[in-house]
Amino acid sequence: MSSVTQQPFRTAVLVLVWGWLLFLVLTPNLLVVGASVMTRDPGSFLSLPLNLDAYRQLMNPLYLDVFLHSLYMAAMTTLICLLIGYPFAWALTKVGKQRQMLLIFLLIVPFWTNSLVRTYALKLLLATNGLLNNALMSLGIIEEPLRMLYTEGAVIVGLVYLLLPFMILPLYAVFDDLREDLLRASHDLGAGRLATFVHVIVPLTLPGVLAGVMLVLLPAMGLFFVPDILGGSRNLLVGNVIKNQFLDARNWPFGAAASIVLTLAMAFLMFAHRLSKRRIGEDGV
Amino acid sequence: MSRWLPRTYLTLVYVLLYVPIIVLVVFSFNDSRSGYEWGGLSLRWYEALFNNRAMVQAMWNSLWLALSAATVSTMIGALTALALHRYRFRGKKLLNGMLFIVMMSPEIVLAISLLALFLLVGLKLGYVSLLLAHVTFCLPFVVITVMARLSGFDERLPEAARDLGASDFTMTRTVLIPVIMPALVAGWLLGFTLSLDDVVVSTFVSGPSYEILPLRIYSMVRVGLKPEVNALGTLLLVFSLFMLILSQWILLRSRR
Amino acid sequence: MKKLALAGMLAIGLTGCSSEDPQVLNLYNWSEYMPQEVLDRFTEETGIQVVYTTYDSNEAMYARLKLLDESAAYDLAVPSTYYVSKMRQEDLLMPIDRSKIEGFGNLDDDLVNLDIDPDNQYSIPYLWGTTGIAVDTDDVEGEVTAWADLWDERFQGRVMLTNDMREVFHVGLRVLGYSGNSTDPQEIEEAYEKLAELMPSVRTFNSDAPRMPYLEGEADVGMIWNGEAVMGKETMPSLEYVYPEEGIIAWLDSFVIPKNARNPEAAHQFISFVLQPEIAALISEDIGYATPNQAALELLDESVANDRASYPTDADMENAEFQADIGDDALQIYAKFWEMLKSGR
Repeated sequence: MSSVTQQPFRTAVLVLVWGWLLFLVLTPNLLVVGASVMTRDPGSFLSLPLNLDAYRQLMNPLYLDVFLHSLYMAAMTTLICLLIGYPFAWALTKVGKQRQMLLIFLLIVPFWTNSLVRTYALKLLLATNGLLNNALMSLGIIEEPLRMLYTEGAVIVGLVYLLLPFMILPLYAVFDDLREDLLRASHDLGAGRLATFVHVIVPLTLPGVLAGVMLVLLPAMGLFFVPDILGGSRNLLVGNVIKNQFLDARNWPFGAAASIVLTLAMAFLMFAHRLSKRRIGEDGV
Repeated sequence: MSRWLPRTYLTLVYVLLYVPIIVLVVFSFNDSRSGYEWGGLSLRWYEALFNNRAMVQAMWNSLWLALSAATVSTMIGALTALALHRYRFRGKKLLNGMLFIVMMSPEIVLAISLLALFLLVGLKLGYVSLLLAHVTFCLPFVVITVMARLSGFDERLPEAARDLGASDFTMTRTVLIPVIMPALVAGWLLGFTLSLDDVVVSTFVSGPSYEILPLRIYSMVRVGLKPEVNALGTLLLVFSLFMLILSQWILLRSRR
Repeated sequence: MKKLALAGMLAIGLTGCSSEDPQVLNLYNWSEYMPQEVLDRFTEETGIQVVYTTYDSNEAMYARLKLLDESAAYDLAVPSTYYVSKMRQEDLLMPIDRSKIEGFGNLDDDLVNLDIDPDNQYSIPYLWGTTGIAVDTDDVEGEVTAWADLWDERFQGRVMLTNDMREVFHVGLRVLGYSGNSTDPQEIEEAYEKLAELMPSVRTFNSDAPRMPYLEGEADVGMIWNGEAVMGKETMPSLEYVYPEEGIIAWLDSFVIPKNARNPEAAHQFISFVLQPEIAALISEDIGYATPNQAALELLDESVANDRASYPTDADMENAEFQADIGDDALQIYAKFWEMLKSGR
């Protein structure tokens, strides 16, 4: 490697990249940490003294309840995505290579369409006078329209709809890597279908599962517009709480503390993901 | 059995994924004001859309923002990927980590942290704040796309160029850039779409001087069922479909 | 290096802002609270473009104004009474130059020079209205005459409330026989408990367009603003506006100019424009709220002037209570219980 002075280009690139990331990623995140230990101020945004009141407030049963409910909805979303996505990703690998490309393409198309518009489209379907109720009623399946909009279920459906591709893609990647010979070996060694699934397929696809969980669970706590449109401003997510604290109630320390909790949750999931990958690596597969 | 079961399942999921979108497109041509009843074919909502001056302005603003955010993030992202790929430097892991954090952290966290920063430095919320924010969340996606391309690249080529006396800059320009071109295009398109779609971050860092489409849609959707939204959604769908096909085409062509 | 990056961005940013026109009025207003025609005619007459951005609660408006204070984002906003005094006391407003305002004399004497803003130094009344009960008579059997009726079991899952802290608590307080402007923590807590009993019945909160859940068939009974009721009735004749026995909630929304407004000149022009009797009448006819403009009343279409929803009779206003400023301490208490209410299940 030649020295820095001989490589003005290298220096310029590194300065630009570091500058951008330090200024727009590291500093803002540190600011949020700082804000979370300051005091709410009605006049301005923040004031001294430093304290942990915001975190104490998070432990308040009221907010704990909101958090747990949000976590519950996000977990349900993740679980449903996983239940739909796991067999889906497996089924994808069973069709011809050419068709696989097309199917993946079709999976990504909705993701490239404005997510608000898609949420809104769901509202058209779920409304009391909406198309789903009309269809069910004209088929004679139900007598009275079901009240689906503005419920917890509607929020979960919306989140699943928006986030499903994020579960499927990493799962597809691991299933695609799954080598047939391993499965055959398992079979030859006398393992039944269930045993092969539990002892071979599940561990090997675990990194994909965790990546999918990571990509679904966290956004599912933050997408505040879904409860706004499908939840009737009830069934709030952590994202709604954070947004309210910053843009309505003006309690910045509390909003910042809530967002730090989200970040910690992310760190935890990332750690689990790495761990699962390493384990498989050590097993020599 | 093992053939039709996966196929049926795939079909079912695709139907569920596409029903809302098809409904949206069909009802954008609905003459009736109601979102549920069919009142005949009409283009009136498209007309209403283009007669709404604020809406058209927001469209242009959004396009310009997405265009500039995608371009800036592609430039910086490509340089970052090259630096990560080629140079050994202190803090490389930290750099990688920061990019990963941006990509993984919930948008809302990024949004409030940037809002705090902009307020602290006194940056007026508007085009510039939106651009900085959008470039930041597009960046990691560009970096990953380009890195993927670089990882399959023959290391001897740049060495040969250097041996022939090319400077680092010249080598990058003449050897590396052409190699990563398809990834740049794909990354640019991804950034463009991400920017055009973003609601969460934009809600926090925009001001009235620069109204953008997603926020306009958000305020319309919150008011209730509006057929104009169907029309707008259909237009956006066609547009992103076009972009997506374009990017796939470019990627496929480059593989040959 | 931060500076370097920033400078680069600014250079790019400048080209993006090149279309900035000095003759723009940034109007920050409630959703669907001004006919497009008025904005178009203003632009036609003065050449000033109006950028119309919306909010759905006083709290959101206030928070955003404070957030964008430095960047002088808005030239005109329309807070309700109690926020006018709050913002005035916090020095967030620019005094209105009365010499630039034409038609102030047209305003109803009862609605000017109020306690919230003595001598109207900072605010000019725009519209006043009421928050009452909406009933979809097609789907609701029997009479609904009082706020207390919302607690009736038959309305399980069919009630809509406005997404407005003060209004919702106003209802709770009135049902208990207290003032809707109570500052007594004990009373507020009681109101919270009363409202918590209502929550299982509540289907949605909406302050963007409170008529929509009724029109969409999601809710059959609940709170609504009178103008929304009038607009809703046009598409759904079965939507009735009811003055509850406990008394209606009355409010007044006024134009204010934020202290750092970039184009106060245009803001003054716009206020004068809206104060013209013809324009004020057009607004009232179009969106169904009552104009405080006495000269405009004479121009109103018969059907609008006689619409009890828009212009209540003296009997309708018997127990009416105007929303008043209750101070920051009480607001904090309300805010706490409001969050508890909305997050409770």
